[in-house]
Amino acid sequence: MAGIWIVAETREQAFELLGAGCTLAPGMEAALTAVVPKGSAPPGEYIARGADEVLLLAALAPGEPFGAHLPVIEQEAGAGSPDLILFAATARGKESAARLAARLGCGLCSGCTALAFDREARSLRMERLAYGGAAIQKLDALSKPVIVTVPPRSFEAAAAAEGRQGRVRELPAPPPSPVKIVERKPKEKAATDIAEARVIVCAGRGFDRQEDLALARELADALGGELGATRPVTEELHWLPEDLCIGLSGVQVKPELYVGLGVSGQVQHMTGVRGAKVVCAVNRDENAPIFALADFGIVGDLYEVVPKIIEALKT
Amino acid sequence: MPTLIACFKWVVDEAYIRRGAGGTLDFSSVDYKIGEYDRNAIEEAVRLRDAGGGGSVIGLTVGPPESAKGVKDGLSRGMDQAIFVSDASFRDLEPSQTAAILAEVIRTRIPQYDLITCGEGSSDLYAQQVGPRLAERLGIPCVCFVQKLALEVGRLRAERRVEDGVEVVEAPLPALVTVLPDINTPRIPGVKDTLMAGKKPVTTVKKEDLAGGFEAALKTGAMTAASLERAGEKLAADAAGIARFVDALRKSGLIR
Repeated sequence: MAGIWIVAETREQAFELLGAGCTLAPGMEAALTAVVPKGSAPPGEYIARGADEVLLLAALAPGEPFGAHLPVIEQEAGAGSPDLILFAATARGKESAARLAARLGCGLCSGCTALAFDREARSLRMERLAYGGAAIQKLDALSKPVIVTVPPRSFEAAAAAEGRQGRVRELPAPPPSPVKIVERKPKEKAATDIAEARVIVCAGRGFDRQEDLALARELADALGGELGATRPVTEELHWLPEDLCIGLSGVQVKPELYVGLGVSGQVQHMTGVRGAKVVCAVNRDENAPIFALADFGIVGDLYEVVPKIIEALKT
Repeated sequence: MPTLIACFKWVVDEAYIRRGAGGTLDFSSVDYKIGEYDRNAIEEAVRLRDAGGGGSVIGLTVGPPESAKGVKDGLSRGMDQAIFVSDASFRDLEPSQTAAILAEVIRTRIPQYDLITCGEGSSDLYAQQVGPRLAERLGIPCVCFVQKLALEVGRLRAERRVEDGVEVVEAPLPALVTVLPDINTPRIPGVKDTLMAGKKPVTTVKKEDLAGGFEAALKTGAMTAASLERAGEKLAADAAGIARFVDALRKSGLIR
């Protein structure tokens, strides 16, 4: 029987990856195996959500990184011989997936945006974005297994069903990793998660000074939305925290309304806005690419135009 | 005196890709560049060399013969020398192949090194695989998504960014890191840098000089243009334009 494995760092990730696995398992006639940290949730929760087998990763010593599990996962995957291994496309997931792919000598589809099984051809169809989002790359596996990383929130979490049966097995502790974590600095929980925002006002390089972002925030407040930013604003200027960075290498957003202020419309950024229902823009450069990628755009100086929009919204 | 290896890729500048007829990709007016993230990898290697008061930075790239331009560009960014692995068939390599080629070249031609720097991903495919795959092939520790890096005696100390915060990690050398864009600000080469780049040593390695077969693990079935285009209604910054714009915002159904 064919096999689909999911490898997750957390319970939430595992549920989403099981959701992905459950959509593929019937077509592939595959059994579903969840490889999850011991203690992340009672194994029964994974079985209820579609896992036929749960492999529990041993608890790690405090300084050991998630990647320490790789030798054990490699050995198990070698013995279990799955057809497909799914990871979440998070920092740890992406690194682990690539390292496991190298160890198993197999292919890896990174940041997969579409994943389906072609029953006739008996093969997986994978898609991802390339060239900063300007292109869609379709991939076919030439190796078994094939590993796929799936961006968070791409799939619905698997629903729990009653009465499912599955096996549970504890994996041996891995050898110590050469990489040691000496300190963890947890992120202060952002007040809002722009990935879930319904309205986003995005500040781009068109703002002259950091304090001027107040204008973007004012418009966001008037629209009942959240503030986001382009990469130069977060990573070059450090005017806003990086969790507000929208784009291929940042957060992918799907609001009802996106308003870009002083955003030129680079493809890497606009790819992150692909899921927006309505895209509006204000930019003084009439040749800015964003005008072709927006539904509505005002050609004008945002410092003059935005106060007028805010004023008009009040009436 | 550390020996640092900076890996980089000469890529199509995606800003010049047009959507051709029937959703094809039109590369007819494209320009090329060193991948954005790879510039950070080069800069970080150069910065560490200079911070340590010496050592050397070897730039390493794989690509078709026309990537020679990228080798010169890379050398103008402060590297001391470059190894260019070149073959006409190295145009559309899959990440597993690139990593295998880099690994063989490092194993056979760079007997001693301390650190390999890679960008977090290439600007074209952005698969983010070559760095960690290369580390595994060489059997050295790997730290990805690094935002701050320092070399100490026999080990590195790095801050890596993960979803729930920052992990400060230590790893013995030699090791490989992939760096985030905000780790540094890559220099913009001046005329003098460009002139000096032409005098720096470049070793060209041909496919025939390599032992590996470098089979692909994935096949690209198609590469088509993604459509991001929308209605694109342009409005003037006058009263009528603003009224129309605000009307559009209201129609999105969210504004009271």
